[in-house]
Amino acid sequence: MAELYPSLAQCAIVSAAFKILLFPTYKSTDFEVHRNWLAITHSLPAKEWYYEKTSEWTLDYPPFFAAFEWVLSQAARFADPDMLNVKNLRYDSWQTVYFQRTTVIISELVLLYALQRFVKAASHANKQLAYAAALSILLSPGLLIIDHIHFQYNGFLYGLLVLSMVLARKQSTLLYSGIIFAALLCLKHIYLYLALAYFVYLLRAYCFDPKSILRPKFGNSFKLGLGVLGVFGIAFGPFAYWNQLLQLRDRLFPFSRGLCHAYWAPNIWAMYSFTDRVLIPLAPRLGLPVNRDALGSVTRGLVGDTSFAVLPEVKKEHTFLLTFIFQLLPLVKLWLRPDWETFVGAITLCGYASFLFGWHVHEKAVLLIIIPFSLIALKDRRYFSAFRPLAVAGHVSLFPLLFTAAEFPIKTVYTVMWLVLFLFAFDRITPVPERPRIFVFDRFSFLYLTVAIPLIVYCSLVHQLIFGWGRYEFLPLMFMSSYSALGVVGSWVGFMVVYFTA
Amino acid sequence: MVPPRPSSHRPRKKRKATPSSAGPNHLVLVKGSDKRSPAFPLASFLWSARAGVSQWLVLPLILMAVGLFRWAIGLWGYSGFNVPPMHGDYEAQRHWMELTVHLPLSKWYLYDLQYWGLDYPPLTAYHSWICGKIGSIFDPAWFALDKSRGLEDPRLKVFMRATVVVSEYLVFIPAIVNFLRRYAHMQGVHAWPASVALVAVLMQPATILIDHGHFQYNTVMLGLVVASLDAILAGRMLWACIFFVGSLGFKQMALYYAPVMFAFLLGVCIFPRVRILRLLCISLVTLASFAILFAPFLIGATSDESRSVLTSAPQPPVLQALPFEVDKNSPLYAPIFQLMQIIHRVFPFARGIFEDKVSNAWCAIHTFYKLNRFEQGLLQKVSLGTTLGAIVIPCFIIFRHPRASLLLPALSSVSWAFFLFSFQVHEKSVLLPLLPMTLLLGGDNGLSKETRAWVGWANILGTWTMFPLLKREDLRIPYFVITLLWAYLIGLPPTSLEIYRSRSLLNGEKAKFEPHILAKLIHFSFYAAMIAWHIVEAYFPAPKELPDLWVVINVLIGAGGFGIAYLWCLWKLIVQCREIDRKVAGEESSKKKQ
Repeated sequence: MAELYPSLAQCAIVSAAFKILLFPTYKSTDFEVHRNWLAITHSLPAKEWYYEKTSEWTLDYPPFFAAFEWVLSQAARFADPDMLNVKNLRYDSWQTVYFQRTTVIISELVLLYALQRFVKAASHANKQLAYAAALSILLSPGLLIIDHIHFQYNGFLYGLLVLSMVLARKQSTLLYSGIIFAALLCLKHIYLYLALAYFVYLLRAYCFDPKSILRPKFGNSFKLGLGVLGVFGIAFGPFAYWNQLLQLRDRLFPFSRGLCHAYWAPNIWAMYSFTDRVLIPLAPRLGLPVNRDALGSVTRGLVGDTSFAVLPEVKKEHTFLLTFIFQLLPLVKLWLRPDWETFVGAITLCGYASFLFGWHVHEKAVLLIIIPFSLIALKDRRYFSAFRPLAVAGHVSLFPLLFTAAEFPIKTVYTVMWLVLFLFAFDRITPVPERPRIFVFDRFSFLYLTVAIPLIVYCSLVHQLIFGWGRYEFLPLMFMSSYSALGVVGSWVGFMVVYFTA
Repeated sequence: MVPPRPSSHRPRKKRKATPSSAGPNHLVLVKGSDKRSPAFPLASFLWSARAGVSQWLVLPLILMAVGLFRWAIGLWGYSGFNVPPMHGDYEAQRHWMELTVHLPLSKWYLYDLQYWGLDYPPLTAYHSWICGKIGSIFDPAWFALDKSRGLEDPRLKVFMRATVVVSEYLVFIPAIVNFLRRYAHMQGVHAWPASVALVAVLMQPATILIDHGHFQYNTVMLGLVVASLDAILAGRMLWACIFFVGSLGFKQMALYYAPVMFAFLLGVCIFPRVRILRLLCISLVTLASFAILFAPFLIGATSDESRSVLTSAPQPPVLQALPFEVDKNSPLYAPIFQLMQIIHRVFPFARGIFEDKVSNAWCAIHTFYKLNRFEQGLLQKVSLGTTLGAIVIPCFIIFRHPRASLLLPALSSVSWAFFLFSFQVHEKSVLLPLLPMTLLLGGDNGLSKETRAWVGWANILGTWTMFPLLKREDLRIPYFVITLLWAYLIGLPPTSLEIYRSRSLLNGEKAKFEPHILAKLIHFSFYAAMIAWHIVEAYFPAPKELPDLWVVINVLIGAGGFGIAYLWCLWKLIVQCREIDRKVAGEESSKKKQ
């Protein structure tokens, strides 16, 4: 057997040590958000959880996450009971910081467990590939930046996602996969973006005979339906009983927000906005009308409605339609070929579609693509060359989340280290594909990687040296965002081709 | 860190291994017939770098990883944070940047001596000047004369931390990398164990905690010493002198190493045959480097303006003690005054035999038998005498057998002797003996259980004796994290007992380089004492009439351990010396037979 060292657990120990050392780093408002939720769930009865609004950061995750916070709050009492006071806004004693940061590290053990299952489930020949992919997820700079500095619980949530994907591998555990995914939806509803892939796959592979669509399996359908409905019943049942479902809907789906988030996530709309900006000076020459009201808005980058000066306005319905269409395409193939790898590919493509076309997409959502993709990125070199620009663009696009000087070396050095280590390692072990690769994508991906380094250097150093602190600040942000968008879109196109020709 | 394909597993034998070299066996455990596993976690992390991976990939990854840990430690507290009016070492360093940027050279060693007056040698002053100049580009307010005292701007902290990291990456890290490479080559060690040793040395907890946590620039001084050792290994004795003078010129603490360097360089000129020219070159280059080091001050002192500054200043006692009288009006007065003032500032003879609580012999004796009943002069003489007594054997050995491979044990035993017996020792000085001792990991059998156990034990103990200091600066968590991490990586207690367990090696033979039963006993009792001390210190307040009880116990245990570490290094030196002698004799006799 090929030796796989260092083991995942060893890496987890060392990275946990590093993460503990990151306790004093910058923490975003998400830290206060989660502290507030600890306070809400601890000090109020469940009936009032979704009505409490002392803080502007109201509870807007589904019930299971609230329950998770409630469990944490039971331990939080012993760390510092003051953090559990709803009125104690922006409370951050060192006990609170240590406690909350520790819960992130501990809850990430779910991810470790899921990845270990993933490696174990891999066939003997693919063990090394699976191990490399698992390691890359475990040490992902995305999780480090978002969870351990910025503050969120993605490690835990993605751990459940990976676990459910691993369980989907075998017919015998498909049911558990569905149930865990349902539970995940009740923890964080962002995973709804991937739900269609699960729906199609479970329906096709579990509720029908895999060989023939004409033989439905009623027993399986019943079990799955009961399981999933049971999970949703436990989560939402009490709130339905108290007649709070409409309130929950308003809290979970706040549609009053704008098309683009504060920092532009690298998606189609970022490119759209960029094009719009570029067109403003050109519009009079081209004879296009310019919307004067919109001129001041985009570069400011504040949360709110982005309006476009030259290009037509984008409505919510447009984004939904586009997302839906581009999710549907891979699902057709999944329906016809319901095997595990197609399933993971379909999940990845659903993630892509929602990230690229979704309404008010957060740059953090890029993990929704990267993590499922990592599981199959090493299948062969075609997959890998589609993955490469995503790995660079996705992580680089997270940089603006941390803007303080002290965190700058951490985010850049860690990401560069991860990219060097894994892109190099992947490059060595990824097998040659059965079909010939498409020449253009290889060149694109190589060119893309080479541009990254001068761009990062420019945006982080040279720009300030040329223009001084604080001038034209939007310029590097816009470059980064457009560059990342190009990478994500490029890798999406590349992966679509690979997926449909596989 | 993905293992290479099975075909590329076998490490290439690049160099002719010496007969005693067990190669990478110390890193590999054999389980069953063909199962191999790394002997300790650090070997596991570099498992895939065993063969077929370019150093151009491994080295940058290692440097990035250790850099991340350094920076992360730097996020925590530093010496003197929120402790007005004097603050601590951080403020001292910042203050020196402030005064060197704003004042003419002649005032550097005179300006407001009560508030962190400059008391490090000239190279530190120049280094502060460069850092201050660069920092002033970012924000002149950080180093505004007098107004910036006690400034605690978080952006300033980032800048200051960055100066430590950058200085370390410019001096210490290249020196260590080059030294270990050359040392491994010399000792017939393969690239893989050399990389493992490199990470072990670079992750040494004590150095990271003091430089990046507490805040100092020790790595610059240590780096120059290592560069000097590297030059010796390369046979460039003159460069070795220059680097060593540089390290002395950065921090006078490098004097701990000076007797060995002196004895070695002298020995090189005398044995096996006398080489007068070499001796002459070495002494000239050393003098010239000192001259260059002080030249800006001496030249600066000749200007009219600075002469008036210097003549009006109070005379340092060293100047008064000179056997000849210097006329205030003579043109030589100002340069001599300047030189004497620097020496006076750098060597504070007037201070006590030990400062604060430090794990050396004097502090330990003082606990039971108060030493302040004796007068300073007597204590100084006794301290000088015992130090000389403790260093004479290693110095003589290295003088009689000036071999580069003996330098590390000689340096560590001499610096342990200084730490234990010399005058005016700081707890931070433990970094000096720890560095050469830790570098032993890079040598032949350096990663064997025996060496690893001893070096690891000394490092853990050394870091542990600094805990009272680190605790005051809110560095408890970094202390525990980085120390336990290092212990885990090297495979030491309390994370693993594997190192004290007997196992057969890769080639099936019984392991040779395992810690002696006595060593096991000593180590176990020390580890147990350290753990027990931490528990007691954390949960029980010291009795009211003895508020320093825990610290004193820490000091006593530490002093005992360091004494043992001194003996081990000395023993190691003697054993290695005899081994080399035997080898040389063997070679000669075989030549004769032919």
